[in-house]
Amino acid sequence: MESLHVAHLGPTPYRDGLALQEGLVRARAAGETGDWLLYPDHPPVLTVGRGATADNVLADADTLRRLGVERFEVARGGDVTWHGPGQLVGYLVCDLDGRGRDLHRFLRGIEEALIQALAVWGIGAERSSGRTGVWVEGEKIASIGIAVRKWVSYHGFALNVAPDLRFFDLINPCGLRGIHMTSLAERLSGNAPSLAEAREVVAGACAKALNHPGWTWESAATAWNFAASEAKPKSEDAA
Amino acid sequence: MPISIVVPQLGESVAEGTVAKWLKAEGERVRKEEPLVEIQTDKINVEIPSPAEGVLSKILVAEGTTVLVGTEIATLAGAEEPAMAAAPSAPAAAQAPAAAPAPSQKAAPPAKPAPGVSAQPAPQPPPVAPPPPQQGGNGHGDGLALGEARNLSPAVRKIMREQNVSAHEVSSIRGSGIAGRVTRDDLLDYLKNRTSAPREPYAPSAAPSAPKAPAAPLPAFMTARTEAAATGPREEVLPFSKVRKLIAENMLRSKHSAAHTHCFDECDMSAIVALKKEWGPKLEAQGVKLTYMPFFIKASVLALKEFPWVNGEVKGDALVVKKYYNIGLAVGRDEKGLIVPNLKDCDRKNLAQIAGEVNDLAARARADRLRPDDIQGGTFSITNAGVFGAINSSPVINYPEVAILGVHKIVERPVIRDGQIVARPMMNTSIGFDHRIIDGELAVKFQRRICELLERPEMLWFYA
Repeated sequence: MESLHVAHLGPTPYRDGLALQEGLVRARAAGETGDWLLYPDHPPVLTVGRGATADNVLADADTLRRLGVERFEVARGGDVTWHGPGQLVGYLVCDLDGRGRDLHRFLRGIEEALIQALAVWGIGAERSSGRTGVWVEGEKIASIGIAVRKWVSYHGFALNVAPDLRFFDLINPCGLRGIHMTSLAERLSGNAPSLAEAREVVAGACAKALNHPGWTWESAATAWNFAASEAKPKSEDAA
Repeated sequence: MPISIVVPQLGESVAEGTVAKWLKAEGERVRKEEPLVEIQTDKINVEIPSPAEGVLSKILVAEGTTVLVGTEIATLAGAEEPAMAAAPSAPAAAQAPAAAPAPSQKAAPPAKPAPGVSAQPAPQPPPVAPPPPQQGGNGHGDGLALGEARNLSPAVRKIMREQNVSAHEVSSIRGSGIAGRVTRDDLLDYLKNRTSAPREPYAPSAAPSAPKAPAAPLPAFMTARTEAAATGPREEVLPFSKVRKLIAENMLRSKHSAAHTHCFDECDMSAIVALKKEWGPKLEAQGVKLTYMPFFIKASVLALKEFPWVNGEVKGDALVVKKYYNIGLAVGRDEKGLIVPNLKDCDRKNLAQIAGEVNDLAARARADRLRPDDIQGGTFSITNAGVFGAINSSPVINYPEVAILGVHKIVERPVIRDGQIVARPMMNTSIGFDHRIIDGELAVKFQRRICELLERPEMLWFYA
């Protein structure tokens, strides 16, 4: 397996992030490029996965509009979650065909990567049986939701580095009632690593846990070029 | 030919998936490779592409329903074929395989569909003669079936060519890969121990290949045992199949959640034996094989009506008492594993109808043609360990049901009638119940009532 390509996309509207992923999925499935880890910086959004039940978005449309939070229905697994500033969102566009098409092993690999990354900052995180994601003392620090098309993954994980956790009050995160979301900032009493540092550490951990020999920084433009090689931007329904 | 769409293999630990979203509607035309449906498992949503061009003729599983890997979820009418607008509805289709003997069904077991093959041809009526073996694309020309060829990696196939290993021979190797796939290492290990002559193919049943000596062959199990001891490894690791894992989870959940308790009774089966003897041939003439099970079902339903709690389910701090009677039947399927499909609304069916449906359900269970609906919604279950020879058992409740009836082998035993020792066809019964809900008194009375109804079928006049 070749190195994991990693790109920081910079400020990325959610819709654009989706289009980029879909393009890259096509290119990955066609064998035009390798596996990618993409870091977008999203403005605040709520994304509702296929596992969602409607009432897990607690805030009404007016409140969301006032807070500038856009809402998207997306074809990934999992329930509703929030993305926004202070969070490290990672999209994983990886070929699963060559990994034996084992979806759960892939999920466990992502969890393992985040657990290893958190250990770097001295945080003992763990899995919780039956509740995909990464947990610290019963509080959730990272969410995972994956979609697969043509046996290529997209979507990925969201690690709370130092977001405003009050955004999670708008929802029942991942459809789980009464769980508390935590962050590196909260766990490290404000001494959270920078997002730039987090990107490096998590990229290394992902490459290792997903069995890549290493990882390399790529420019966002490179990712877009692969994605656009047969561009057919498909707008996702925003509800 | 209609193509059946099944939930594909999604990984070693993935036993089931939820139909998250149909991307095409019934009657809609789809191109090959076009996304057809999204299946969700855990936090992953997978788009399943259409295996061929055609028309989505029938959706069998609704959105939000969770089904086992390998379950048929839709059928696709081929491009050359018009969509069956007036296609027979599901119940009619369900009856089709009823008369088909299980072994001739070609359906792959759900535990091990070929990875990546998201569709398989719908089963045809059993052919008179087995179809000729397909020629595989491995360049070896020895009839490697298409599905098997796809299971072998290029590396494995290369070694096969170099070492002149036939596909037949490879099929005898127990694979350690996903879904039992034979990996490169498996093959190399095998070749290390391979003598000039290819090894006998691995035969789980051992019977057909065992008797080689023309004079007085040993019983199959003895031959197999001796050979294994002489040449085979002393231990063998058999990874759990998906179905096995599910069974394990269900059994543990039941054992952990319910306060399992058992009590036992016995039943003079003279009357039922006589009834079966008389009515069996009459039903047989109508194509229905009459077993004892329909009698057990009928008696259970009547007893359940009298003791409604037994037909219940625990939900939180409450007992939900069901006013319908879907009776689950534990069907053993050798290595494929136990499954408990249920017969719907048994209170509204007569004995002959139940007999017909028992045949159908058992045949489909063994042929892997159950529908999700067959396994869901049971209210009480019966397990017949007698078919394997048991005279008693302590059955595990099919949780979240609250009780299960065990029936057993009917054995002639000496009993006392009017002060005389006489032989009677006797059967032990057992009941496993959740003592959180059902006290011993209720369980005993319930079981006694079933035995009485079996001993004196004329009581049906007063109950039914």
